[in-house]
Amino acid sequence: MSFRNALESGKFVVTAEVGPPKGTDIKKILHEAEMLKNKVDALNVTDNQSAVMRISSMSFCKLLLDMGHEPILQMTCRDRNRIGLQSDLLGAAILGIKNVLCMTGDHPNAGDHKEAKPVYDIESVQLLQVVDGLNSGRDMMGNDLMGSTDFYQGAVVTPEANPLEPQMMKFEKKINAGAHFFQTQAIYDIDKFRDFMTSARKFPVKILAGLVLLKSAGMANFMNKFVPGISVPQVLIDELKAAGKEKAMETGIEIMARHIRQLKDESVCDGIHIMAIGAEDKVPAIMERAGLL
Amino acid sequence: MEKLKNYRSFFLIGCSECASLCGTGGDPELASMKEAIEAEGKTVTGTLLPKTGCQTLGTKIELKKDKEACAAADAIIVMSCGAGTQSAVEIFPDKPVFPSNDSLFLGNMTRFQIFDERCSLCGECILDQTGGICPVTGCPKGLLNGPCGGTDNGKCEVSPDIECAWVRIYERMKKTDQLEDFKKTLEPKDWSASRKPATLNTRQKKEEKK
Ligand code: SF4
Ligand code: SF4
Repeated sequence: MSFRNALESGKFVVTAEVGPPKGTDIKKILHEAEMLKNKVDALNVTDNQSAVMRISSMSFCKLLLDMGHEPILQMTCRDRNRIGLQSDLLGAAILGIKNVLCMTGDHPNAGDHKEAKPVYDIESVQLLQVVDGLNSGRDMMGNDLMGSTDFYQGAVVTPEANPLEPQMMKFEKKINAGAHFFQTQAIYDIDKFRDFMTSARKFPVKILAGLVLLKSAGMANFMNKFVPGISVPQVLIDELKAAGKEKAMETGIEIMARHIRQLKDESVCDGIHIMAIGAEDKVPAIMERAGLL
Repeated sequence: MEKLKNYRSFFLIGCSECASLCGTGGDPELASMKEAIEAEGKTVTGTLLPKTGCQTLGTKIELKKDKEACAAADAIIVMSCGAGTQSAVEIFPDKPVFPSNDSLFLGNMTRFQIFDERCSLCGECILDQTGGICPVTGCPKGLLNGPCGGTDNGKCEVSPDIECAWVRIYERMKKTDQLEDFKKTLEPKDWSASRKPATLNTRQKKEEKK
């Protein structure tokens, strides 16, 4: 079943993500993708994540398609102007890529080419409008296309953004611009997430809760301090600490599995998006523990 | 200033507008530049602090009294901005002209000689739709439809020294009861409005209006 059909059928959907490497040796990422085959409903491929230059998202999406995976093409507005973005979207369509996640993209300042000229000719809301236009057979200027696209387009939202209200107004703009699904920034507090879902449920969109694997108490503290929009509750940090260094990863897996079970059993949202960040090999174990396999 | 090695005598031009306010091309700076050049064993044939350095015609007229000093100089150093420098390039077709400054941005002086960039002259002002705060300039990504996921307690992901422009816009529009406008999606910007190099003839425009 395609990702779109799975979501629309009401199935509790699971997506994960892989980040292509810097360089042409793709043995590791191919192995990760192989392990996730027939387990996840779709696999995101990041677009020069954290503004660090790597293999393009589109190329790896094509390899995933060839493997029988369903890829979600992440597309940021950092590196291409409106001509480049539209051209790549058309290119993705002819390769058979069906899903696209429209994002603004981390600023070059966060990455390994700080001297790069940031593009941001358009941004996430406008990119969603562009995809909607291409799906209807016209480009941004209203020119007719010789053959339209048929993308299932989504976006991201940060349920724990501070302040939250402008984030929610932007969320609504993204929905009006044509987003069908959302993958959220990492959440750790299910009750708080439930509050977010109460507002999100007013709209006809599918929401996948973003889950980042906690590998240690140190990692949790680091994210609380340095990653905007992520807040790991103290009880979870204590749980990781109590487990000790050796068992921390194991505990992180247990925490995520527990959250997944809760989200699914209580029908809090429409699915989950697992971000293992370097521990992609743990995803099958997490899913098994959560009762998804 | 590597380029100056090949020349022995210079005429210095400052500017009494921005460069004086910035303290980069006013009277005191002309004097210290003169001193520095002379300390290198070179000559300064004269200095001029024009009224408005980027006004080519006016500066040319002001320079008339320094005709000989200019003629005696191997090169001209301009201590204002890139615009002032290129006025001098136009005035001196046969002489090398060098800038002493990097021109950074159009600044608002928030306190004496402390500057903030608030407008980047995009050619199509949207301040009417953003609560009077410019996201094209104030947000490092120039976003037009609200904060990115990197906003953190009002700080920008790019640097904690930057107040997130979109949180500032949100707060101001809330205070001024304009949040309904905040919800409207702004169209992509027409960047052709800031195509370089721009020209403008306001005189002709006024006449056409009449
Ligand atoms: S939108 Fe911003 S950059 Fe453009 S003219 Fe207005 S203040 Fe200047
Ligand atoms: S944090 Fe705010 S100011 Fe910084 S890039 Fe994001 S939206 Fe722009």
